[in-house]
Amino acid sequence: MAKKRLGTAEELNLVPIMNLVTILIPFLLMAAQFISLAVIDSTLPAIGPPQPPSEQEDDDPPLSLSVMITDEGFTVKGSGIDEIVGASEDEGEEAGPTIPCTVQGCPTPDTYNVAELTRMLTEIKDLPGNEDEENVILVPESRVPYEVLVLTMDSARNDPSQKVDGKSRILFPFVVIAGGA
Amino acid sequence: MAKKKGRRPTVEGELSITSMMDMMTIILVFLLKSYSTEDISVKASDDLEIPLSSAKKPPRLAVNLVVTRSQVLVDSVPVLSLERVPDEETGEEIVRVPEDEKKGQMVSKLYDRLLEKAEYAEELSQRAGTEDSEFKGQILLQCDRRLPFNVIREVMYTAGQAKFGEFKFVVIQGGEG
Repeated sequence: MAKKRLGTAEELNLVPIMNLVTILIPFLLMAAQFISLAVIDSTLPAIGPPQPPSEQEDDDPPLSLSVMITDEGFTVKGSGIDEIVGASEDEGEEAGPTIPCTVQGCPTPDTYNVAELTRMLTEIKDLPGNEDEENVILVPESRVPYEVLVLTMDSARNDPSQKVDGKSRILFPFVVIAGGA
Repeated sequence: MAKKKGRRPTVEGELSITSMMDMMTIILVFLLKSYSTEDISVKASDDLEIPLSSAKKPPRLAVNLVVTRSQVLVDSVPVLSLERVPDEETGEEIVRVPEDEKKGQMVSKLYDRLLEKAEYAEELSQRAGTEDSEFKGQILLQCDRRLPFNVIREVMYTAGQAKFGEFKFVVIQGGEG
């Protein structure tokens, strides 16, 4: 008996396993996800009666940071940040964007200078009294593509160049989108 | 020749499937790794390109509102078609909600459908009665990256009127974050 076993090398019958695997592969291919999704939270601006002014308002007005997105670039507004954004005397559209696009007229989403926006928002966050500020209001123009909106939200959320505990530094993660013009 | 023909059936040629088995095992492991049980799925098409983002927050199940360049869908059911018209100033083709579908900023058909969804979700949460199932007005927004903001604004405004106030923009993870 032992002699016979040594003489003939028996091969394992892999055919049933093969059948099983062949059935499993199409099933798994269907359920496979090759891209991973994420979500960005946002809320509508609160609509309601104006809040009664707080006692502190005169001394320390809230930042109320807003970023307008136009077809010329970003315009950053807020209280107490005039030095950083270099606000000019002109009001409204006359003033031009705070951060113009790299190409006149912003033909593609890449031309929006998001790196400069992140740098400016980091500077604003560094101002004394703004450490706890987390809100930013986005005011995009009607024709601004959705992709630019996402890019702006990304650059306002965190600063990848500064690391805190191995993660990017959080700037203004709570985005409110206001209906622009 | 005749002799050979007679011999053939006796010789049993066996296929060696070991190497194929190796390959299959590797594919199987790879597919098992990328197996996903994510709550939402994106049906990619020419009209729906989800933008890339550095966001990391995983999506959770909610009402799924999809805005492609040609139509608006709520939970995979088409609600209305969008039209493409040349822009008055630049002449470029832009996507917009047809005027006769709107009441001011509100998109009527979409409002009706979303309100139905919201009321149904509220009823469900009341029956369940737990804190987890409470209706929070969350809505997942999958929009094409080329859509102009005015379409998104109208859709968001309509959703806001239909009790959905917490927007979750679905993006593809990528880039630094």
